[in-house]
Amino acid sequence: MRASVPRRIGLYATLIVAALVMIVPFYWTLSTSFKLPGDVFSGNLIPNPFTLENYQDVFRRLPFATYFLNSVIVSASIVGLNVVFGTAAAYAFAKLRFPGRDLLFFVFLLTLMVPFQVNLIPLYRIMVELHKAIPAIGVDTYFGLIAPGAIQVFGIFLMRQFLRSIPDEILESARMDGASEWRILRSIVFPLAAPGMATLAIFTFIGAWNDFLWPLIVTNSDEMRTLPVGLALLARRNTVVWGQTMAGTVVAVAPMVVIFLVLQRRFIEGLTAGSVKGGG
Amino acid sequence: MVRRIRAGLPGYVLVAPAVVVTVVFFLVPMAVSGYWSLTDYNGIKPPVFVGLDNYAALLGDPRFLRTVQNTVFFVVMGMAIGPLLGLGSAILLNESVHLRAFFRTAFFLPTMVALVAVATVWKMLYQDQGLINDLLGLFGLPGHAWLNDPTTALPAVVVTSIWQGFGFETVVFLAALQAIPRETYDAAKVDGAGAWAQFRHVTLPGLRATILFIYIIGIIGSFQAFDQIFVMTQGRPGLSTRTVVYELVDEFQRLDIGSASAIAYMLLIVLAVLSFVQLRFFGERD
Amino acid sequence: MIRRMRPIAVLVATTILLAGCSGSASPAPSSAASAGPSVAASAVPSVEGSAAPAESADPSASLDTTPVTLTVWDYYGMEVTPFTEAAIAAFQQEYPWITVDRQDLDWDTFLDKFNVAVSSGQGPDVATLDMTWIPTLASNDVLLDLKALSGGMLNGTPITDQYAPGPVEAMTYGDAYVTMMNDFDAYALYYRSDLFEQKGIPVPTTWDELRSAAKKLAEDSNGDGKLDKYLYAVRPNTFHFSQVLFQNGGELLNPEGTKATFNSDAGVGALDYQVGLIQDGSGLYWSDADGDLPPALVDGRVAMFSDGPYYMGLLRSGVPDQSGKWKIATAPYSKQPGSYLGGTGLSIPASAAHQEAAWLFVQYFLRPEQQVLVYTVTGAAPATTAALESPELTQPDPYFGGQAPFKVFLDTMATATHFPYVAAWSEVDTIISENLDAALLGKTDSRAALDEAAVASDAALAK
Repeated sequence: MRASVPRRIGLYATLIVAALVMIVPFYWTLSTSFKLPGDVFSGNLIPNPFTLENYQDVFRRLPFATYFLNSVIVSASIVGLNVVFGTAAAYAFAKLRFPGRDLLFFVFLLTLMVPFQVNLIPLYRIMVELHKAIPAIGVDTYFGLIAPGAIQVFGIFLMRQFLRSIPDEILESARMDGASEWRILRSIVFPLAAPGMATLAIFTFIGAWNDFLWPLIVTNSDEMRTLPVGLALLARRNTVVWGQTMAGTVVAVAPMVVIFLVLQRRFIEGLTAGSVKGGG
Repeated sequence: MVRRIRAGLPGYVLVAPAVVVTVVFFLVPMAVSGYWSLTDYNGIKPPVFVGLDNYAALLGDPRFLRTVQNTVFFVVMGMAIGPLLGLGSAILLNESVHLRAFFRTAFFLPTMVALVAVATVWKMLYQDQGLINDLLGLFGLPGHAWLNDPTTALPAVVVTSIWQGFGFETVVFLAALQAIPRETYDAAKVDGAGAWAQFRHVTLPGLRATILFIYIIGIIGSFQAFDQIFVMTQGRPGLSTRTVVYELVDEFQRLDIGSASAIAYMLLIVLAVLSFVQLRFFGERD
Repeated sequence: MIRRMRPIAVLVATTILLAGCSGSASPAPSSAASAGPSVAASAVPSVEGSAAPAESADPSASLDTTPVTLTVWDYYGMEVTPFTEAAIAAFQQEYPWITVDRQDLDWDTFLDKFNVAVSSGQGPDVATLDMTWIPTLASNDVLLDLKALSGGMLNGTPITDQYAPGPVEAMTYGDAYVTMMNDFDAYALYYRSDLFEQKGIPVPTTWDELRSAAKKLAEDSNGDGKLDKYLYAVRPNTFHFSQVLFQNGGELLNPEGTKATFNSDAGVGALDYQVGLIQDGSGLYWSDADGDLPPALVDGRVAMFSDGPYYMGLLRSGVPDQSGKWKIATAPYSKQPGSYLGGTGLSIPASAAHQEAAWLFVQYFLRPEQQVLVYTVTGAAPATTAALESPELTQPDPYFGGQAPFKVFLDTMATATHFPYVAAWSEVDTIISENLDAALLGKTDSRAALDEAAVASDAALAK
């Protein structure tokens, strides 16, 4: 702590103001979730009266457990698949040579550049056909929810940047010792990339947990709905029910906040070790 | 050539799963949409080939061009401010302060919430009687109809987007910062470099690859801004907040699938060129 | 342009058909698609108003009774949907071979999901559709012709006898009925009757009277020279503009639907009137971005506005403290009464798998006792005349000072007009709304704003 006192004060002041700016909207969300409809726009900072009605509505009106469970299953699957297969592909793009590698990577990047809305109809039809062929997959199944997001180009791009920082010498010497690429991947790359994979896991989880449009389109039955789609049903035609909508938002974000708080040290430090420095 | 393919086999095997998923669930739909962009198609009757008519109509439509203008503003403003805030916060959060975990969580929190929810909350904050005008009033500043004024509506929406998004940049920059070896800074200090010089000659070069990643992903993302517009302003007042993807979704809802696909492909071409340029000129040689 | 079916002729035809059909074999099992009048004639012979299975013939005799699961997509909202569990159970009891799978959908995203599903052949059998979506869907042949399916009959009586002419018009596209209106939306004037009494303001019946009423009503609560309390909410969208346009004798498009006519003198006059309210200071520009009105009603910023029947429910739930302080009056007009006519319709997609069963469902829920649920459960205004005249809807309402508000809306519906059913309507609607902003925010004058909208609209209509 060599910095001077004024500098420390300035630092803390900036951080506090900035943190407030980040948190105040959440405070509004949180406090509204405990307010009755008449109180929502009263300007009260503290709910008056304080009510748990909105949360009761969320949990009772909706088959909340089903939605939550579906979100967990889908998100966890997507994270697992991305971390394993996305990292594997990223390693190939970052460290292995094969004809067409850079072109293939660029083609992969292209898929990020088209708004997802435009893929909806063709993708949905693919799912419909798959479902007709094999009822266990396709529309309104876990497969349908998970498959399009199973290995994401965003994640491959992220990991590719990470992995480029692994010194080639380590890999070369392992190869010279006769290790196969599998072995290298498993025992050298994955451990070194583990922190980066933690990063990937968190970003992918957030994306999958909050995904709305595709789960909306590909699910028909209540049993398959994920949390965001289910929470949207709290809305009513023509009007927003603020208390419940905010309660739904709090409920949807709570798991992630908890996970992040618990893991943030690992997560940040994870980003440290497997850095994105070096390599284009 | 065959030998290179044989040698590259491990690489092919490792990318195979990704290739399958990307081809089946992205490239095939994209190809279909590409075809539809050359047709007049309402989703139900068979598509009728019209060549480049959709593209020509869009490029000649002043309303569409206005959405392009809005989108460019969105991208420029977002990418000028967001990464700066991200880098700034990362530098702040890199210092050893008490409650570092709390601050880091606070900065990253908005990124964990779905953009639709964030936009809904901010829409309330921007109301005439909302929190923002209340806070301004506390400082004696006049309030404003942020989302109802064509001049302030788009910037207001961009502010919301930046608020939600820069946490991602913060986290990525933070990691990259921590990866720059202390020794490099020490060496610079020994050479007599002050704080600014250190930043220019040690920090920035060390962050180069990160910056490239942030800008490529960020530009691709902000060009596709939609959720916040849909929730907050619906493209109004007038045409002042209507973005390209908002127009795309509108056309899709009107069952003008051909034109919606054409918009998507124009976006693809622009982004592909921009990304290619960035990779070429700012990426490091392999 | 009201086309009435000739009820007598239809009645006679139906009787003959019924007589000829008794005991005859049911139509081919999976017929539905090309079902002609014979299906309808032998379907649901229950007399209008009865909830019990038909007194005349056994309904299942001439109907296809292979078990079907009927998919219904419903955007009303879980707890307020008129398709209550009890009602559906009763329906399934009356038609035991039909199992109803009712799915809740969110109104905001309904069209996205509907379009994707229908275009992929996976659409529902019955869908609640906002009337503003009808132009796009009908002109793209998405919706089944219910006139052909039903022979013009609903629960044994001609459709034209059960709806006012306005709704019948609104359900018609070309020669077909593309939807059956379930609830309707038309605008009347909501006003703070307590303030009107207090300040001695007469209830306005003309535009000029409304303007002066607004001026007398508004107050400057913080002394800064600007009126900021008890204002009239001016809404910048096509729904509200078309109301004043119609009242001023104007039309949105020419009869062929190829050119914009809303920038006529009548249109400019209508927009000038709205701009005038804002310029007076007693009108408040209230955009869709501002959300629902109740927050502004609670703190008194707004004390007068135009809107439809569903706002009664919003007031009850969002502004409970002002019960007894509001009344509803027919909207003041310049030349003739007029309003936009919207609402919800029940439609059957052309690609629906179970069209006959779908029609049974639609008819069931258009019976008066089910339609009443549209008000009692949903808080919306049922579209069928019988329901509107039922006791539940003609009771005095304490929230509205003992007034029976539905009478006003019934009158309003009689002079309400739906949006033009042309393919490009959705785009024109957006264009008009956008350009209203410029005039209402004082950036340009009404004529310039409407002319610009007209140019863009003509381009859209020409595509």
